[in-house]
Amino acid sequence: MDRRSSSCFLFLCVILLATSCTQEPAIFKEYRTVFKVGDQPTWAKKVWNHSNWERRIKLIPEGQIFWSRTRIDILRAPEEFQSYVLQIDPYGEYEIFWDGVLIGKNGNPGQEAELPPEGELWVTYSIPTHLATEGAHMLALRLSNYYFPDHVGQYELEIADYEDLFTDQLIKTSYMHVFAGAFLIISIYFLFLFLNNRKEYPTLIFSACCFLIVGLVLTVFSKDYVPIHYSVHVIRLQIINSFLLGISFLIPYYFSIQFPYPRRGLSLILYAVVLIFIWLINEHAFDWKTVGMVLSMWCFSFGMVSYGAYKNVRGARLVLVTLLLSVVVFLASGFVVSLYTGLGLILLGMLYLLTLNIKEQRLAYENSLIQSTRLRLELLKKNIQPHFLMNTLTSLIDWVEEAPKKGALFIEALAKEFDLFNQIEDQTLIPIAQEIALCRSHLEIMEYRKEIAYSWEEEGIDPEEKIPPAILHTLLENGITHSMHMADNSIKFKLVFESNSQYKCYTFLTFAARTGHETNTKEEGTGLKYIKARLTESYHSKWDLTSEPTDHGWKNTLKIYS
Amino acid sequence: MKILIVEDESRIAKRIERMTRDILGYALQSLTHINTLNEALAFIENNSLDLVLLDLNLNGEDGFDLLTTAVSESFHTIVISAYKDQAIAAFEYGVLDFVPKPFNRDRLEQAFNRAIAKEKTGNDQLKVLAIKKRSRIQLIPIENLLYVKGAGAYTELFLADGKKELHDKSLEKLEQLLSHSFERIHKSYLVKMSEIREIIVASGSKYMAELKNGVSIPVGRTKYKDLKEKWV
Repeated sequence: MDRRSSSCFLFLCVILLATSCTQEPAIFKEYRTVFKVGDQPTWAKKVWNHSNWERRIKLIPEGQIFWSRTRIDILRAPEEFQSYVLQIDPYGEYEIFWDGVLIGKNGNPGQEAELPPEGELWVTYSIPTHLATEGAHMLALRLSNYYFPDHVGQYELEIADYEDLFTDQLIKTSYMHVFAGAFLIISIYFLFLFLNNRKEYPTLIFSACCFLIVGLVLTVFSKDYVPIHYSVHVIRLQIINSFLLGISFLIPYYFSIQFPYPRRGLSLILYAVVLIFIWLINEHAFDWKTVGMVLSMWCFSFGMVSYGAYKNVRGARLVLVTLLLSVVVFLASGFVVSLYTGLGLILLGMLYLLTLNIKEQRLAYENSLIQSTRLRLELLKKNIQPHFLMNTLTSLIDWVEEAPKKGALFIEALAKEFDLFNQIEDQTLIPIAQEIALCRSHLEIMEYRKEIAYSWEEEGIDPEEKIPPAILHTLLENGITHSMHMADNSIKFKLVFESNSQYKCYTFLTFAARTGHETNTKEEGTGLKYIKARLTESYHSKWDLTSEPTDHGWKNTLKIYS
Repeated sequence: MKILIVEDESRIAKRIERMTRDILGYALQSLTHINTLNEALAFIENNSLDLVLLDLNLNGEDGFDLLTTAVSESFHTIVISAYKDQAIAAFEYGVLDFVPKPFNRDRLEQAFNRAIAKEKTGNDQLKVLAIKKRSRIQLIPIENLLYVKGAGAYTELFLADGKKELHDKSLEKLEQLLSHSFERIHKSYLVKMSEIREIIVASGSKYMAELKNGVSIPVGRTKYKDLKEKWV
């Protein structure tokens, strides 16, 4: 646990360090951008009175040309051999002017309706060195926005040293791709784990979460190298939000499986409704949706994990710490960084829970191996335990001495039982016919020993059915040990089989005189323990065994549920 | 001889019965076979017996309850069992012999001889003597026993803490069981050898054994020489 928390901490430090490297003092100051519909080449000029221009225009239909002008003060001129670049992402196709000089062209402003989409959303333009002097400058854009006429001129602007901007983006993108790559491998690994064990839904959910995060990161950070025309940008945002929607649902869902609580289904449905509401409302407010979904995810997860920690579920405390750490990151570095760091932390927490599960499964498997070996030994022991063997041999000697022919038959019966035991010794399920043969041969032996007329009846037996070995044999042994013969010196056993769509039922009846006192529980205990362990081995919890006295003797009922 | 067989395996019981009749012949007065524990306890309570042949595992029940009762009685108990690992425990409780299954006539005869011939078994595994109290059986550790005095059919056990207890077994029977550390120094006394401090010749050529706790016990005239040799 310590090692794991320290690795979480390390991860956190790396991310914080990576983000803090990008902080640098500003080299420019941006003034309010103003707009005007129309098209005049002189509007590109550095000096032009634009006091009557609009601060905001709601709609410019049909791809009309409009202009924007932004005053920018360069606070620090570039050093020798250094050059400044300008990065901008307005919706639209445009020509860009710096102090009246055309420094770039992105698509065909004004001709969008006729020409196919051209240009990219994120473009970098270099500012001519002689125009990058300290002081006031004018950025003018000649645009048209055919595809989103109601999204006019809201854009982000960045001026930076070319080398710095390039390096920063490279570093950020490569970090995030390493991050995504790691989760891609984890996702594939856990997908394979799931495919090999289809019952383990947490592994599948975890794999899906990792995969969605890979998708999210790739979609967000591929913008620097995948050209996207502004007309398809909303699709990108929708994809991003869909990934987030998936992640936001799956993480709390995963926690709800790991830390079960009452009314789980209902709360999950409610949560899904909340998420879909956030996702659908306000079509274009993507930032708002992102925050809303992530916040809901965090709150729900926190609730579930807290409950798990309260109930002392293994691993819940550590996951709670990772959730709280993501808040610390949020407070320290803002939303974007904390989103990925937080997701990374939470996934590490989830991974930790899965490793706990895997460990538990391994232990359970090892235990089951030990258990089945133990059961095998127990089965073998049945025939060599002194009570059976020595009493049988004593009787056998007597038969051989007194009635050698019968003695020979006795030996044959004994050989048959040993043979049957050898056949079933290493199996977990055997045909019922074999089990019945075992019971019959045991009765034969006991008849020689006890000189009681034992009889066996069966009803409705389906010879195709299977049953764990020596279950009925053990019940039969108990029946013989704990019952007295009836007046005619006989004891009858009867096995009845019934089945329906819900269960298969074996009823094992003993017809005998009651012994008149309660049977010793210790001896019966070992037999019953063997039966129960065998049933659990083959049917897990889907079985039921009851024993009760009846007027005629004893009744055991074994139900195996389908 | 009056004998009870407690055995739930019919064939084995018949074997024991047949061999017993064969071995004891006319010496056998009565022979009873019982196959449940409760019936056996009731029978022991209501009949006088000389010997009980006991199986320790009856219908899956633990025969040690019956064993403690049996060994507290006046008769000797011989255990016939499939569980050899119970032999030590049985001897600790004071059975005369333990016959492991499967057995033959010779082994059974050997066990009977111990009972009939008053052969000393000298079993040094005996740890306790079971005595009957009003409604229960009390186990007295042998190390607490100093000497035994015969009192008709009964015996009196004198213990290290000064107490005196009654045992249903005769002095002869106890002598058989206790012979490894106790010596019959008088027709009425059985004494633990290690407890004798001194042997005194009193006036009138009476011999007395003085124990470490100061008690003096008479020594039989015929036993004196024997005792002198053993007690060095």
